[in-house]
Amino acid sequence: MPADMMVKEPLVKVEGLSKLYPLTTGIFREARSFIHAVDGVNFSIPDGESLGLVGESGSGKTTTGKLLVRLVDPTAGQIQVRINGSGTDIAHLKGRGLKTFRRHVQMIFQDPYESLNPRRTVFDTVSEPLAVQGIGDVVERERQVAELLALVGITPPDTFMFRYPHELSGGQRQRVAIARALIVLPSFIVADEPTSMLDVSIRTGIMNLMQDLAEKMGVTYLYITHDLAVARYMTNRLAVMYLGKIVEMGGTEEILQHPLHPYTRALLSAVPVPDPTLKREPPDIKGSIAKAIDPMPRCRFYDRCPMAAKVCEDNDHPPLEEKGPGHWVACYRV
Amino acid sequence: MAELSTPTSTPVAAVLETPLWQVRLRLLLRGIKTNVGLFAENPIGLVGLGIIFLFFILMVAHPIMMKTVWDPNIYNPVTGYDPALVAHPSPPSATHLLGTDPLGRDVLSQLMWSTRAAFSLGIIAALVTVFIATTVGAVSAYFGGLVDTLFMRLADLIIMTPTITILIVLAALLDLGTIHLAVIIGMLSGFGGATIIIKSQALTIKVRTYIEAARVAGGGNAHIILRHIIPNLMPLSFLYMMFSVTSAIAIEAVLSFFGLLNIRMSWGLMIYTTSFAGYLMDLKKWWLIFPASISITMLCAAFYLVGRALDEVVNPRLRKR
Amino acid sequence: MSNILLNVEDLSMHYSTRAGEVSAVDNVSFSLKKGEAMGLVGESGCGKTSIATTLLRLMPDNALVKGGHVYLDDTDLLSLREEEMRQVRWKRISMVFQAAMNALNPVYKVGEQIIEALETHHMFATNEEARQRIVELFTLVDLDPKMLDQYPHEYSGGMRQRAVIAMSLACHPDLIIADEPTTALDVIVQDNLLREMMALQKKLGMSMIYISHDIAVIAEVSDRIGVMYAGRLVELATSEHIFKRPLHPYTYGLMSAFPSIIGPKRELTTLPGEPPDLIKPPPGCRFHPRCPFATEICTKEVPEFTDMGGGHFVACYHPVEVS
Repeated sequence: MPADMMVKEPLVKVEGLSKLYPLTTGIFREARSFIHAVDGVNFSIPDGESLGLVGESGSGKTTTGKLLVRLVDPTAGQIQVRINGSGTDIAHLKGRGLKTFRRHVQMIFQDPYESLNPRRTVFDTVSEPLAVQGIGDVVERERQVAELLALVGITPPDTFMFRYPHELSGGQRQRVAIARALIVLPSFIVADEPTSMLDVSIRTGIMNLMQDLAEKMGVTYLYITHDLAVARYMTNRLAVMYLGKIVEMGGTEEILQHPLHPYTRALLSAVPVPDPTLKREPPDIKGSIAKAIDPMPRCRFYDRCPMAAKVCEDNDHPPLEEKGPGHWVACYRV
Repeated sequence: MAELSTPTSTPVAAVLETPLWQVRLRLLLRGIKTNVGLFAENPIGLVGLGIIFLFFILMVAHPIMMKTVWDPNIYNPVTGYDPALVAHPSPPSATHLLGTDPLGRDVLSQLMWSTRAAFSLGIIAALVTVFIATTVGAVSAYFGGLVDTLFMRLADLIIMTPTITILIVLAALLDLGTIHLAVIIGMLSGFGGATIIIKSQALTIKVRTYIEAARVAGGGNAHIILRHIIPNLMPLSFLYMMFSVTSAIAIEAVLSFFGLLNIRMSWGLMIYTTSFAGYLMDLKKWWLIFPASISITMLCAAFYLVGRALDEVVNPRLRKR
Repeated sequence: MSNILLNVEDLSMHYSTRAGEVSAVDNVSFSLKKGEAMGLVGESGCGKTSIATTLLRLMPDNALVKGGHVYLDDTDLLSLREEEMRQVRWKRISMVFQAAMNALNPVYKVGEQIIEALETHHMFATNEEARQRIVELFTLVDLDPKMLDQYPHEYSGGMRQRAVIAMSLACHPDLIIADEPTTALDVIVQDNLLREMMALQKKLGMSMIYISHDIAVIAEVSDRIGVMYAGRLVELATSEHIFKRPLHPYTYGLMSAFPSIIGPKRELTTLPGEPPDLIKPPPGCRFHPRCPFATEICTKEVPEFTDMGGGHFVACYHPVEVS
């Protein structure tokens, strides 16, 4: 049996990933306090899957995304990415290794107005990854850019190739950003809220495009969003984050229909539904979101949890445990 | 690695008939046309440009005049002498439209010839300033840390010390000609105030999302600085260039007035000659002072006005809606 | 005595720009009852914010009202002089702007800023009275009055938004226009704030106009909903009708394009094309280039905004038939 037909390692495997930001008050004073933006996160993503990372502001989802593309360096932990058949820890790559890694993992940013350099044409922007990685000559790059533009629905490509971002609409700009992410044929893409700044009628177009491309090109996604409804459509597995920790993880439909963690429940019950006849109960949660500064060694959700008990306060943050098939929850009370 | 499983369809592959450089040229021209249009909406810019153009004509006209109408022995701005007239300096006449200076040289010829010195001084100084300020500003902003601190303290030092003083000392110690002076002024400006302003602009660019995107694409520091940060700094740098020209011309005039420079002829030197001969306060001999000083003022003002008009092109918020 | 508070008739407004005149609001008509909450929903550029600024006559310099009337009780607000309009703003109609929470000056304490704003409008005789009123208001919006002595950066996003809402309530207005009041907030904070706004509205008997691009939010807070597209009001009906029986193809398309976490997971439909350029809008119905039902008349004549029964208005030649 050929090697590639056996069960493969997951494409991405994250273990104990942490990012701590120091709060300093002076140049020479050592940091005493840290913001635990991402605090010991574990997950893995098999090929072809789309994992959604949901949470509110301060949950650490954006930072996790940036860690996976090494825009930010981790404080601790491992990020294993399968490159050329074998897993490589990319957490501490530098120099040439880092540059090679960038051919395999790319990112789509949230703001289509900001992620394109206003002084560079569509061609410059989309071909940049090729130029930087030294792939192909100019003619070859032109051809590839044209191909990709057609693929993302920017047609006819030659009309758009030499336009500047300000001549494009929001939806078109995001398509250009997607083309840029895809041009090096990465195996993994981190999408950071790619549709949240677009109009509703444009959003679905981009969402459908991303799904089509995932199928056609065999791309695996990490989809970061605060919008659970969008996550429902774009992901097949979901991880819910709170103050730097994953509190629940499992199949998307499973989590949306049977949420187990009290935070997930609160989050779901807070989402407005487009049905005026439905009376929605207020979410069962108290207080407001805090900053993860030097968190106390107890469940991070303790001070807001409706089910908080002594066990939650006496022990450190609960580990993720499998409470159902493929459904993991970090809670002592479930 | 991902794979593109769809076959490449022909219409897409056969897309680019015009070569890349032609397209880029067309884009550049289009960009220039738009900016020129914006610039032209502002009357002060046009006035400034008009004045610069006038001086340009003067500069170009001089060699023509020397080859055709004017006798080089009489009209040479440095070595000419008109024996036909008895007393020098002599007032404006038919043969000498702006009269002659204390050494018997035609003032108009001097004026026109000096325009070249003024332009070359101004432009070289401006180019040096812009080059230094842009590079240093971009690098300081991007790397921060020690590099940033060093350059910023250097800038502080330069700002603290009056430029004129530095230049007077340098002029006294060294033998400064036009090019030397231009380069020195350029360096002082470049490492001084201009760099701080450009650096703060670079700081705002550094945190833009497209810089993150460039990094994710695999761009290293050099790529990001050269292809992203500096191009976005260019409009501001270009603006600064205009203001540098102004200060360079003015500084030269002052230094020449003190006789510190090794330039053969310039407006400043014309005033110096007047002063040296004791005619500085003599208003009856107005042609010795006014043409030169008015030229200095006007050319400086012209570049400044162009700079102001450019400011509106560069900074969209200043434009009228 | 009529229970209509606001009556907008054929309101049209343009912006004049370097590129041409932008027809931002075109013949919009609707009426608002006392105590009613109306939602205005639409995508960017549809004109909903422009209507809000026009109602309060707070348009930017390059805006021109091209026609129409805005009747508050029986006075046409568009015909008032600026001094008269100042009596209306804050006192009868007040507004919570988009990203209002960023409109607080970071170098002054929040309490100081609010008192200053109130004094500018000559609403209270003394500083003391103003302060008392604000303490009342803060309590009303569930903010600790001690926060008055803090700076804006010490407030969270939700708290800042509440402070701004408190300000808008200062003079017991009859109508509050809230433009994207919860857009930048997290979903749990948003839920909290929306519930409070709805409760306040009921308690104080105010009318509200909620403006948002988020259909779900609008569905929950509005009694009636107006759908805007390219500067025109294309549909106006009760919330239930808009969601259960949308008649305009755009409304229908918008509803189908909105993902939801409840109900079965269905296919999301896309609306082809993009919103039109308002400098040269398409003739006739502005939606026709994207409409699957468009016929020739749609490209020539502007459809009338007609009542299809029970106060359900649509401007369309081919309203959707839903069984």
